[in-house]
Amino acid sequence: MFSKGNLVTYAIAFLFILALNFLLPRMMPGDPLMAIYGDEALITMTPELKAELVERFALDQPLWQQLGAYFVALFQGELGYSYYYNAPVLSVILGHLPWTLLLVGSSLLLSTILGITLGIESGWRRGSRTDRAMLAGLMSLNGFPDFFLGMLLLIAFGVTLGIFPLAGALTPYSGLSGLAWLLDVLRHLFLPLAALTLAHLAGGYLLTRNTMITVLKEPYMLTARAKGLSQRVLKYRHAGRNSMLPVVTRSGIWMGRVITGALFVELVFAYPGVGYLTYEALLARDYPIIQGVFLMVAIFVLAANFLIDLSYPKLDPRVSYAY
Amino acid sequence: MHIDLKREIKESGPGKTGLIILLLMIAVALLAPVLAPYDPYQQSTASLLSPSWSHWLGTNHVGQDVWSRLAFGARTSLLVGFGVGTLATLLGTAFGVSAALVGGLYEKVVMRMVDAFIVIPMIIVVILISAYIRPGILTLIFLLSLLSWQGGARIMRAQALSLKERGHVAAARSFGANRLYLAWRHVVPDLGPILLVEFIYGVRRAVFMEAGLAFLGISDPTVVSWGMMMRDALSFSYLDVWQWWLVPTGVALSLIIIGLTFVGHAAEPVIEPRLRGVGIA
Amino acid sequence: MKLMSKETLNLLPKLLIPAMIAALLVLPSCTAGTPEISSYTIADSTGDWGYPSPYAHYSRGPGYTRMSFIFETLVWKDASGFIPQLAEEWEYIAEENAYMFKLHKNVTWHDGKKFTAEDVVFTIDYVKAHPNPFVTLIGPSGVREAVVIDDYTVKLYLEQPYAPFLHDVAGTLAIIPKHIWEGVDDPKSLTGAEAVIGTGPYTLADYSKEHGTYLYQAYDDYYLGKPFVDEIKFVKISAEMIPAALREGSASAGDIPPEVVSEMEETGLTVITAPVAWNAKMTINHHQEPLSSKQFRQALAYAIDREALVQITQRGHAVAGSPGMIPPTSDWYNPDTPQYQYDPARAKGLLEGLGYEMEDGYFTKDDKVLELELLATAQFKEVGQFIKQQLEEVGIKVDFRTMEAKTVDARVEAWDFDLSIYGHGGLYEPSILKRVIMDDGFNSARYTLNETLNQLLEEQLGEMDAERRKELVFQIQEAYAEDLPALTLYYPKWYWAHDGTVNLFYTKDGLASGIPLPLNRLSFVR
Repeated sequence: MFSKGNLVTYAIAFLFILALNFLLPRMMPGDPLMAIYGDEALITMTPELKAELVERFALDQPLWQQLGAYFVALFQGELGYSYYYNAPVLSVILGHLPWTLLLVGSSLLLSTILGITLGIESGWRRGSRTDRAMLAGLMSLNGFPDFFLGMLLLIAFGVTLGIFPLAGALTPYSGLSGLAWLLDVLRHLFLPLAALTLAHLAGGYLLTRNTMITVLKEPYMLTARAKGLSQRVLKYRHAGRNSMLPVVTRSGIWMGRVITGALFVELVFAYPGVGYLTYEALLARDYPIIQGVFLMVAIFVLAANFLIDLSYPKLDPRVSYAY
Repeated sequence: MHIDLKREIKESGPGKTGLIILLLMIAVALLAPVLAPYDPYQQSTASLLSPSWSHWLGTNHVGQDVWSRLAFGARTSLLVGFGVGTLATLLGTAFGVSAALVGGLYEKVVMRMVDAFIVIPMIIVVILISAYIRPGILTLIFLLSLLSWQGGARIMRAQALSLKERGHVAAARSFGANRLYLAWRHVVPDLGPILLVEFIYGVRRAVFMEAGLAFLGISDPTVVSWGMMMRDALSFSYLDVWQWWLVPTGVALSLIIIGLTFVGHAAEPVIEPRLRGVGIA
Repeated sequence: MKLMSKETLNLLPKLLIPAMIAALLVLPSCTAGTPEISSYTIADSTGDWGYPSPYAHYSRGPGYTRMSFIFETLVWKDASGFIPQLAEEWEYIAEENAYMFKLHKNVTWHDGKKFTAEDVVFTIDYVKAHPNPFVTLIGPSGVREAVVIDDYTVKLYLEQPYAPFLHDVAGTLAIIPKHIWEGVDDPKSLTGAEAVIGTGPYTLADYSKEHGTYLYQAYDDYYLGKPFVDEIKFVKISAEMIPAALREGSASAGDIPPEVVSEMEETGLTVITAPVAWNAKMTINHHQEPLSSKQFRQALAYAIDREALVQITQRGHAVAGSPGMIPPTSDWYNPDTPQYQYDPARAKGLLEGLGYEMEDGYFTKDDKVLELELLATAQFKEVGQFIKQQLEEVGIKVDFRTMEAKTVDARVEAWDFDLSIYGHGGLYEPSILKRVIMDDGFNSARYTLNETLNQLLEEQLGEMDAERRKELVFQIQEAYAEDLPALTLYYPKWYWAHDGTVNLFYTKDGLASGIPLPLNRLSFVR
């Protein structure tokens, strides 16, 4: 549902994020420069550099002037510089981003498809033993935190059975190329992908199932059945397609959840994505990175929600009239 | 129309199971000092021992009894869970109902804020804040509540809006009842079932968040937490200790979450027909 | 007695020449001894330590170490002590307070250009202008002037007599090529292949920040002979997975947790351990009552059983702290340093002597319960918990809080604390003593109340006579242990396991300025 109202919502969310990013380091005790740049600043910065940064960010000025300086820097595309990684924050994050996108993207796709399919099947058989078993099973699965699932998978398949690699996204300097390289990447991706997918399967499943149950009672389903359409067509083309809608609309919010869910999974498997970067930055107290990641994730989630809002009328023509 | 929530849960199989699990966990948490043979903080040289009669789940890397820590960890999870659930539900109801009944600019502003917060992934905000201030238990409850009441507010407002037009509410209005009276005596009681479901899911979210933060290592390490225990256990995964250190802790955490899921799910059909399109899951 | 027949005797001269030729052929490979290794993999749990150029690597030991395979220093160390590197010989001229270095003549940079004294003087001037986190060339460790005597001789005039010059400066300063770095105003701006042109045995073939991996290739024209290991890979493997990786052979070396030492040895791997270089200590705020009393601080020392602390919180894999800070395994250790053996009764006695009375299990004075606040980061949660229990057993109430490092640092810096736990390394060289006892900064005790101690600390830094310096360091330990502005708790033991194909060893007194890693580039060179 695209409307000006929603745009305002996203704008507010974005402003809140910026405000948080701005205020937090300045509210910390001690030297704000150290708070902004972290531990390494103390060791690597020369007095001249410190003076320059203080000037650039107006750290010795009243707060509102600092806010101005902060926005100026932001609009110049400067996410800051990490003194620990000795590189601009943006480039560090971009280096890790593809791996998170791979993991999160494939997981979202898999869990949504699987969830919807299972939801449709379950809803179709509402009340039966299969349905009840699937429901109980998936809800139980949902109870397992993604990091616990990850740990179990890692220990079972990685450490004990040794089938899958223990860490990382690929074998470094393996000299592989083409298909062999792809297989190596997939081997490393398998366990974290499994953990993340299993952990988020239930969301799509439950929503689809619920919607399916309601949809099945709709008059048009009766008509379709009366028309003598096959089970499969009824299930998927009629009921299923309409049951998908809530999942699609919710996927915007879920994207945020899956990205942050990936954080724990990346940690467990030492998968070099943005989540793992955040964790390392937490350990090294590299605040520029933490803030940069925060900003990026927030923007990403907001943009994703925005795009889904735009596409919603295309999926459900009724909606554009309702608002 | 008053739906008997208790009956809904009791009649549902998973609902019953969930309730039993929850009650068991609460019992363990309350009886922890009795059930735990050791002080969960007492360190000793008897580290990384396998389960035995004196240590049912063995010991961790500083010789603390794992079972005792497991029992006391339940307290942390449930305290944070119920604390956040209560506070968040209260805030959500207050804002949601007031928005519905007051309307106008107030409603617009509140709902915009609510929508803005819903879109932001909560855990990232919590991580960011925790990176700067290591929160203690109370601060954590406060923080998590502040960031999670928004979802409930939307639902409460929707409910309150539809209730506003109901017979008994309209009648009370025509008799000159002011908004606070309306809210307290007419709207909120009918919100009962929804409140409870919101509460349950709020508790579940908070339990997961607390464990997650402890797992990342950014919560208070002087508090016994299942997330922290799992984190410590992971760093020893090259030994066999994970079997009695990691697994029971993870299972306990999962059980609480599953229990809450089952109970929440059992209560859902109560409100589902009225909330088509908004969804709770 | 006849040893040989006449016929054999006649044969000898004929055999001699072929024998000599055979010997000449065999001897070189005897000194080499080791077969050529095509690839060697080193596992590390952090992985990324920055681009291995002197101004780009992260300012931590492992970052420097990776750079040290590409860049070299004037002098270096092996397992026993200083050895020549870029400088073949050196001498200290006391009257001029200067070092004369005679350099190797056939050293080449990786791009083929020759290495000369110009490069050394350039490096010194450059680092003076652009400070480098590992070497400070201004101040007490400073070089006043570096002079080219001839193409292969350099003379460095020091600012003042500085005892650890070879260790801290000559053995740590990475020499950079003048023809590349000349005119580079911002050292951080040099980030490409040029930034890793050094004189060392390896060149950088690849580096990935995200994956935390490095690929090094042997430099064919290395002046000490081509390294026998063709390729070195640094890969990232999480700490708990390193033992598994070593076992299955996907890594040749890595640091291991102490619990698996015997298992690793059983698998046939070689395990080596580091002489302690790092300590965890409890800093005491001597500006605040009641901690301002020396007696009180001593009571704290008697109340904390450091042996038990090691057994419980470190599972026995550490050495109990000496109140003199210098570890018992060090050459500089004074065996007469007061140790404050665990004696809770004595601790209580000292507290009573200060006017405290026991009431309901805790000491009180003027109706106030004796309570102290202990600050630490999450890293020390078990240690803090242990100290809290020990002090409470003696009757001192402790409020133990863990907080974000920034907050702890800020509070300690502002003297807004009672006790705090902190750790630092560098314990090989006594120059650290002044830095962490007298100097400013939150990681220092900032203790200047003892004039004698102050003098001793200043003096040892400039004392060029080794015997006399050792005497001074002995006295420092005694004075420091007497006053106890901070209490060293323990020195952790670190273990590495490797497959034996390369002889890894711990450099005497640490790599360069004291890095306790067994990754000395010499291991990889014939």
